[in-house]
Amino acid sequence: MTLGRAFSVAVRGLDGAIVEIEAFITSGLPSVNLVGLPDAALQESRDRVRAAITNCGSEWPKTRLTLALSPATLPKMGSVYDLALAAAVMSAEGKKAWERLEKTVLLGELALDGRVRPIKGVLPAVLAAKREGWPAVVVPVDNLAEASLVDGIEVWGARTLGQLRSWFGGKAQLDARVDAPQSAPDPSADLADVVGQTHARYAVEVAAAGAHNLMLTGPPGVGKTMLAQRLPGLLPPLTYAESLEVTAIHSVAGLLSDSTPLITRPPFVAPHPTASVAALVGGGSGLARPGAISRAHRGVLFLDECAEIGAAALEALRTPLEEGVIRLARRDGVARYPARFQLVLAANPCPCAPADPRDCVCGANEKRRYLGRLSGPLIDRVDLRVEMHAVKTGAFAPEEGETSAAVRTRVAAAREAAAERWLPHGFRTNAEVSGALLRRKFRLDAKAMDPLRIAVDRGQLSFRGLDRTLRVAWTLCDLAGRTSPGLGDVTTALSFRQAGSVR
Amino acid sequence: MNDDTARAWAYLSRVAEPPCQDLAELVAAVGPVEAADRVMCGKLEGRLVDETEARRRIDCAAKDLEILTGLGGRLVTADDDEWPLLAFAAFGGCGARQRPRSHPPMVLWAVGPGRLDDVAERAAAIVGTRASTAYGEHVAADLADGLAGRGVAVVSGGAYGIDGAAHRGALAADGLTVAVLAGGIDVPYPAGHAALLRRIREDGLVVTEYPPGMRPARHRFLTRNRLVATLAGATVVVEAGARSGAANTAAWAGALGRAVCAVPGPVTSSASVGCHALLRADAHVVTRAEDVVELVGRAGELAPDEPRSVSPLDGLEETERRVHDALPARGARTLDEIAVASGLPAMQVLGPLAVLELSGLVVSRDGRWKLALR
Repeated sequence: MTLGRAFSVAVRGLDGAIVEIEAFITSGLPSVNLVGLPDAALQESRDRVRAAITNCGSEWPKTRLTLALSPATLPKMGSVYDLALAAAVMSAEGKKAWERLEKTVLLGELALDGRVRPIKGVLPAVLAAKREGWPAVVVPVDNLAEASLVDGIEVWGARTLGQLRSWFGGKAQLDARVDAPQSAPDPSADLADVVGQTHARYAVEVAAAGAHNLMLTGPPGVGKTMLAQRLPGLLPPLTYAESLEVTAIHSVAGLLSDSTPLITRPPFVAPHPTASVAALVGGGSGLARPGAISRAHRGVLFLDECAEIGAAALEALRTPLEEGVIRLARRDGVARYPARFQLVLAANPCPCAPADPRDCVCGANEKRRYLGRLSGPLIDRVDLRVEMHAVKTGAFAPEEGETSAAVRTRVAAAREAAAERWLPHGFRTNAEVSGALLRRKFRLDAKAMDPLRIAVDRGQLSFRGLDRTLRVAWTLCDLAGRTSPGLGDVTTALSFRQAGSVR
Repeated sequence: MNDDTARAWAYLSRVAEPPCQDLAELVAAVGPVEAADRVMCGKLEGRLVDETEARRRIDCAAKDLEILTGLGGRLVTADDDEWPLLAFAAFGGCGARQRPRSHPPMVLWAVGPGRLDDVAERAAAIVGTRASTAYGEHVAADLADGLAGRGVAVVSGGAYGIDGAAHRGALAADGLTVAVLAGGIDVPYPAGHAALLRRIREDGLVVTEYPPGMRPARHRFLTRNRLVATLAGATVVVEAGARSGAANTAAWAGALGRAVCAVPGPVTSSASVGCHALLRADAHVVTRAEDVVELVGRAGELAPDEPRSVSPLDGLEETERRVHDALPARGARTLDEIAVASGLPAMQVLGPLAVLELSGLVVSRDGRWKLALR
């Protein structure tokens, strides 16, 4: 038999498609033709596969060899097909129809000496194989922990091409599935470390409970970054489905750790202020790769010095903030990455940013323009805004603040209450709830609405600001364990609006 | 009303000193023409003989009517549409019956575009001493102006002092004003008010129950006062001395079931002694036209609350006040410092601070709060 066949997976975005790989040996001058829209890395795979096959003691065909990857119109990228190409060639050359080969999806890159090297995007590939009904998948042994996260499919880890060949013949064993340990919360970032700043601390707690976006402003060194880093620690751990979503994105981005591949804690992503649009939302030639916002999916995206970030990059955040997903169209197609993240913005009050705001030397215009760069539509999606004050002697206070663990319990209870309340309306957190629903069906009693009505009448609060305040008021009431927000909740919610601004 | 009837009414108006209840009963029984005949021929019985004996031979009805026509006036009797029947019905009340001369008029001599029944529907009397002070005249004019602006007719006696100020105030506001005279319609009394009375005849209404040429006399003023009180829904005494005709009008108003009002004045002013006496006797205190409109106007036409001087801190809740007081006069404080100063938990300080900020009492800057400069 001069035709060999193996299967692999092409990962596009977070979706995978099964790719059939055929090797055909025919008479003619020795040559290798690779067809099926390969990119440069895949073209080079001919040389890797040839060396690896030779070095593990198999024969390389001495006549003409055609390698085809189908579907032929699907552009294929990277080194993930090495293992499947090698298996197809060995099957064709040896004229063997291994039963195991027919039922297995192969993923992995080959070294010249026949070792199997780790690759990116194993999790989405394995998920795709499982979804397509394949019974088994072989991955590089270094990716075994990641692949083991998927239940309901046989997962094997291959160390070398020779080992794999023996396994096809039933003469050797591959490494079996391993149990991945759960990632633990980062113990170094505890809310107890933040001293003073009660308003901002409370804002972080409220943000965690209601999934509200948060903006912190204040002079340098008052703890903006510190607080933002502690926000993920207050969020409840991800559910299994959420973990898989998040892990798949990180897998495609090649960011998983070997020991604890499953991400069970909400991620914290803090891109540098100079980050480009592509770095932030994803991009790249061919098919777009996930950016910071997708890596922050189900977690926190922290934009420090947000006033220094380019306007284009900030504006690009608007659609994902609204839809929780980003679609990126590039030459090879449209990639769709989930991006439901919680945004935390931090900024200095002005460009010079002295430790004490009174020492500021900026002109009034300069100051106004600085934070004015944040566009209205973006700011509208930030429910909580807190101005932090420079810490004075209170910073040396001996007592500690409340610990993250204590706050986490409250946050979890509040989130549960909110999820139960909004379940019939298709929302999960207070931040997602539409303004119309808040103002009509879940309208507060007249007394509680009074300060809002007065503020709107006086032109101190816009209608969007009203909706934001209502959302925060619901979160405050959830945190306090009440059934509906009272006057106190509404007025406290008002304290989280931007000072001296109508928005 | 044909000429015979008019002449009969004019004759009857003069023949007895009004109000003469016996004559009114005779007219009601046999009609004005027949009654005038009987009086003229002396075919009378009982007290009526004495009451009419002195003047029954004086017949100047035609001349009187000529004078009235010359002024552009008319006779108003119970047979006319214009007759304010409801207002005069008050004389039948139990309070009024105990007073002497408590009878409705028989004939009214009226000059002016105003209609009596319209006037009586929505009117207030402003009365007071002739020896008024500048304060009293100012208040009277002010009240009259306010009442006129709210469509209330101002009724008074056309005298010097408060009465004159009230008439002038109403006229200045293009309102309706009514002068009820204690003498004939052609006798401008006091003479110094001749011009004022002419203006009232042109724009308002001058009314009397005395035939032309009749001189005002002390007892006629007291009799006239009952008409002032009955035509108005409320009588306001602006200034009155210890002995004053205004007190008599107020007494008539009380007896007729009308509201009695008094304007308080300086306790050292002798011109306000009568007002204070009325106030002690449960008269309404009146300081603005709105207060009077509330008494004489339609149901529900209530006076707004007196404007009160307000402090920005008035509407604040207890906790908001505490948070406000916790802020120093100068300098800003952080949330935790405010919490310590107010004795409230920091989380409960946030809400009040937001409310204070929205009401402009507190400003937040750089994460601190301070009192707004006022």
